[in-house]
Amino acid sequence: MTHPVATVGRAMTSAPRAYAPIVLVGVLAALLPLRYGDSRTMMGVIIGGVLFAAYVIGFNVIFGSTGQLFLCVGALAGLGGYASGILSDRHGLPMVLAIVLASLVAAVVGGLLSWIAVSRSLGVIFTGIVTLAFSLAFQNLLLGRRDLTGGETGLVVDAGSESLLGEQVAPYYAFLVLVVAYLVVHRALQRSRVGWAFRALRDDEVAAELTGIDVKRYRVLAGTLGSAMIGLAGALYAHSEGFVSPSTFAFGEVDVRVLVMLAFGGIGSLLGPVIGAAAFTALDEWLVSFNEYRLITYGAVILVVFLGFPRGVVLRSPGGWRRRRASPLRGAPPS
Amino acid sequence: MTAVALDGIVLGLQFGLLGVGLTLVYGLGGVLNLAHGQLAVLGAIVAALRMDAGASAVVAVLTGLAAAGTAALLLDLTLLRPVYRRRGEARVLLGLLLMLGVAFVIDGVLVWRYPIEALSLRIGGDPVDVLGVGMRTGSLLASAIAVGTGVALVVFFRFTTLGKAVRSVIQDEEGAQLCGVSPATVRALVLPLSGVLAALVAVTRSMTSPVTVNAGIDLTTLALIVAVVGGLGSVSGAFLAGVLLGIVNTVSAHYIGSYVTTIVLLGAAAVTIVLRPSGLLGVGRE
Amino acid sequence: MLEVVDLSAGYLGEDIVHGVSFSVAEREVVVVIGSNGAGKTTLFRAVCGLMRATRGTVTFDGRSITGRRAHEVARRGLAYVPADRHLFPEMAVSENLDLGAYPRRPRRERRELVLDLFPRLAERHRQRAGTLSGGEQQMLTVGRALMSEPRLLLLDEPTTGLAPKLAAEAYAALAALRQHGLTILVAEQQVPLALQLGDRGYVLEDGRIQLAGTSAELEQDPEVQRAYLGVA
Repeated sequence: MTHPVATVGRAMTSAPRAYAPIVLVGVLAALLPLRYGDSRTMMGVIIGGVLFAAYVIGFNVIFGSTGQLFLCVGALAGLGGYASGILSDRHGLPMVLAIVLASLVAAVVGGLLSWIAVSRSLGVIFTGIVTLAFSLAFQNLLLGRRDLTGGETGLVVDAGSESLLGEQVAPYYAFLVLVVAYLVVHRALQRSRVGWAFRALRDDEVAAELTGIDVKRYRVLAGTLGSAMIGLAGALYAHSEGFVSPSTFAFGEVDVRVLVMLAFGGIGSLLGPVIGAAAFTALDEWLVSFNEYRLITYGAVILVVFLGFPRGVVLRSPGGWRRRRASPLRGAPPS
Repeated sequence: MTAVALDGIVLGLQFGLLGVGLTLVYGLGGVLNLAHGQLAVLGAIVAALRMDAGASAVVAVLTGLAAAGTAALLLDLTLLRPVYRRRGEARVLLGLLLMLGVAFVIDGVLVWRYPIEALSLRIGGDPVDVLGVGMRTGSLLASAIAVGTGVALVVFFRFTTLGKAVRSVIQDEEGAQLCGVSPATVRALVLPLSGVLAALVAVTRSMTSPVTVNAGIDLTTLALIVAVVGGLGSVSGAFLAGVLLGIVNTVSAHYIGSYVTTIVLLGAAAVTIVLRPSGLLGVGRE
Repeated sequence: MLEVVDLSAGYLGEDIVHGVSFSVAEREVVVVIGSNGAGKTTLFRAVCGLMRATRGTVTFDGRSITGRRAHEVARRGLAYVPADRHLFPEMAVSENLDLGAYPRRPRRERRELVLDLFPRLAERHRQRAGTLSGGEQQMLTVGRALMSEPRLLLLDEPTTGLAPKLAAEAYAALAALRQHGLTILVAEQQVPLALQLGDRGYVLEDGRIQLAGTSAELEQDPEVQRAYLGVA
């Protein structure tokens, strides 16, 4: 019997074709400032969109690849943002170093959460609840430790305001490069042995374990990597925006959006995060004018989208992947 | 100290009621009702509006409860249908997302139309002496309602045929079907019940402090913590967890502070899941 | 009593059972034998309504039950005893049994009958079903199904995980039920036992009926002997 990795190799598309979509997206996105570069508000919106695309890709690596429902994306981003801001402003670290360290902090925390979920064999819902608890606790921490975090009023982040991050259009390109890099990493991951392991454990955990895949290790890996991505994005945002506050990273602000964006774009897919982020950033912009009806419309949109597109939108991954690539494990029918 | 403990128990009984509604819905169908708090607020606001219109407190409360129950039933019959048709992770996710949307819609409508509305049921009378502590009549009535409802629920679920049928669906849905129990019918009965219970908690809360239109999210979070600690799907677990957490809440708030209290409660939920995922009296439904 | 015509069923768009037709007459004991993965469980689940068939019809007592939900089928008098039991772990043995009769009240005579059949259940009357041993749980599942006073009993590998002695006891109990006019359809991997009990049998492999005949005929059949009876 041929080795499973060899089987996957044969079914793969060639490298140029695999990365082409990313290049295409990158090039198209790079053109946006030509249209909106003059408006500070619009650039703010677009940067927000790319920022969320980064968040969603990170979340996709964690949830789409290994099924861990991390309802703490905002908190992880907040860890990155606040840590970087505090390290650079309070402790005088160079901005780049602060950002790297902050991402590491987020990565460690995310990895820890993964490890807890994995050691206790927590299912989807319980992982969600534990990470939600962490999310809310982090929020309370930010509000409570005023001496460190500035509490409700937030923290001003000076470091980086003189660099290109302080400009109007340049930060957009910084984030765009980040997103493209993330997409490349995700694509490379999918094509690698790690990606094969991810698909296997998503397909049938028990069978994967029996094939010799250390499910625990891959879950923690996904959790750590995805959290690093999220934390890095958050740190970058703190320096480009020059200011962070608890509400920037609140569950309602970040996690709800990320979840909806990914579910809309296609859980586990490569460009799904980009599609979802673009769609819902545009929606949010459109809703700004609605003012009072904003919440209602957002809720209504969620309902319509997920009621109307149950198959193609929610959970494209397990079914979708099986059709496009040779599944390393044949799915067994439910007992 | 006794005063704090008693306060804790009073609060805890209401926590329990709040958690029971959520835990039942999850136990019956794997749906995590993120709009639970909003249903409670809906009931409260409807009651408040009726009172503004001149109805007596009793009539207003009953109308509010009916409103919440009807809303829950409508959700079950419409939005939750596609959710029940799925299994496992797909069901959990879709349920979560749809109820989130519902929460937004209800919140949005209430905040938009009645932003300053609030329910407040002032019960007159002198403080009553309980175990050497003076308790307000409002607190006493709230406790009495919570206890009474709790006992009724436990009796229903443990001793009546219908109650056992409900538990059978929670413990093993397929097994229940093989016994001739229709899960869809059971859900159609229990979902409105959960809505009514949620609204009832809002009503009892309003006897001690006003319940405003934005209380929804906090109530949902609380219900979630209680349900999880008690064990998703267990009615008695929810009550036990409620009382324990109520005491933890009052003790913590009294001796430490309110920011930390929230973290403490959340921590309790997280610790319970990590140490004992099935909760205090959990039934082990995934 | 039970008429299955051209039934196909499966999961996620893939059929496991293909165009199966068979029938069971009143008071018969019919056996379905086949190896692991042959499709026996899928077939039974489709018949009793836990699964939707992709094609075909099922008629019970002259009335169509194709596409009917499991709880409706159960109330019509067709009781299914699944291989994986599906008991209510937190409820006592007696409560599990009583629920079997839902929505009717359990009749005393029937309860006594079941407890006579399975004395061990009577001993563990108050014990939580989740704490019973495998064999006891198996007995409880059968007992629960009997509480609804069904006309047709569908059993999916009732002797799985039972020690030979218990398996023999279980089949003796089933034999006793024949006297009470019960019709039985059993899926079994343990072929010798099944053929002893049954009047007729079907061989199911790869989701299709390969052979049909009386128990005697099947026992003589060289294919059956080779595949299931360990005769070279």
